[in-house]
Amino acid sequence: MSVKVHIHTTHRQITNGLEVVEVEGKTVGECLNQLIRQFPEMEKALFTRKDKLLNNVEVYLNHASAYPNELLKPVKDEDEIHLLVMLAGG
Amino acid sequence: MSVYPKVNDHSPFSLRREYISEDGGSMLTPNEQERYDRQIMIGEIGQEGQETLKRSRVAIAGAGGLGSPIAIYLTAAGIGMIRMIDHDQVTLSNLNRQILHWGEDIGRNKVESAGTKLRNLNSAVKIETIAETITEGNVSQLVDGCDVIVDAMDNLPTRYVLNRCAVEKKLPFFHGAVNGFEGRVMTIIPGETACLRCMYRGQVPQEKFPVIGVTPAVIGSIQATEVIKYLVGIGNLLTNRLLIYDGLKVTLTEFSVNKNPNCDHCGSLRRKE
Repeated sequence: MSVKVHIHTTHRQITNGLEVVEVEGKTVGECLNQLIRQFPEMEKALFTRKDKLLNNVEVYLNHASAYPNELLKPVKDEDEIHLLVMLAGG
Repeated sequence: MSVYPKVNDHSPFSLRREYISEDGGSMLTPNEQERYDRQIMIGEIGQEGQETLKRSRVAIAGAGGLGSPIAIYLTAAGIGMIRMIDHDQVTLSNLNRQILHWGEDIGRNKVESAGTKLRNLNSAVKIETIAETITEGNVSQLVDGCDVIVDAMDNLPTRYVLNRCAVEKKLPFFHGAVNGFEGRVMTIIPGETACLRCMYRGQVPQEKFPVIGVTPAVIGSIQATEVIKYLVGIGNLLTNRLLIYDGLKVTLTEFSVNKNPNCDHCGSLRRKE
């Protein structure tokens, strides 16, 4: 079972430049936990505390918003998670 | 099966017809006919669409990186009235991206600088300028009389002020934002589609953002396209669709978003029957 996590540009310095990281898990939260196990610095890039995403982080599952309760959303083999960062500039 | 041109569900033609009766018609002048000849040739716009644009009133919140291309293209396209709202003055560090402002404008109010350029670009368009900070207290008055609001802000709190106002007044709201080589666009039809607040999780710290001028050029141009499409009543809008532009990879990626029934801005509005 493999899920692709698409890493936002601002986080790729943490993933050694990787744009996509393959993980395993039954929920979005489990997948992100495995992402963090591979790249520990992703934890503070995504979470304020355990199970609490930063306010500016957006999670999309198969190109659809996973909001609300993003971390609880179930995933299946070959699903794709996109991690975006809210933009404020103009 | 031909679906060309496709009229979207949000066509404001009924609104436009009311304006026609109030104005007693708004035929294009010979000068305007020539100026807009190439876009009148576009089947989806045509004579009627051009006249609709002439009768339209657009509020652009922000006269900076996004506001510049939005205002330039809507002015060139022949919108009847454009209201530029921005409290800021032009600084040297604005000039890498805010193409309405030039070296000679440093220190001027941005809306004055913008007004000068836009009136020179197209004197047939009425350009209104308001040099005020947008707040919850004045936003309703600032956009009063406008058909749509365009988001060209540089911060999230003011975007939410505009979003709430758009929802309350049921005015279409055209969101855009940029950072570096990345940008995003979404169109909001209050009461019908997801609004900017529908995925709100809490305050985000305000930070100085990096940006290169070509990014707001792309995003602002898409926002202006959305405004034109909405006003004329053509095409498919970016409603419930967040479009992400990555200038480094030159990709456009679309994500679907849903109206949140518990949204503190639009949750109480019901969909049209």
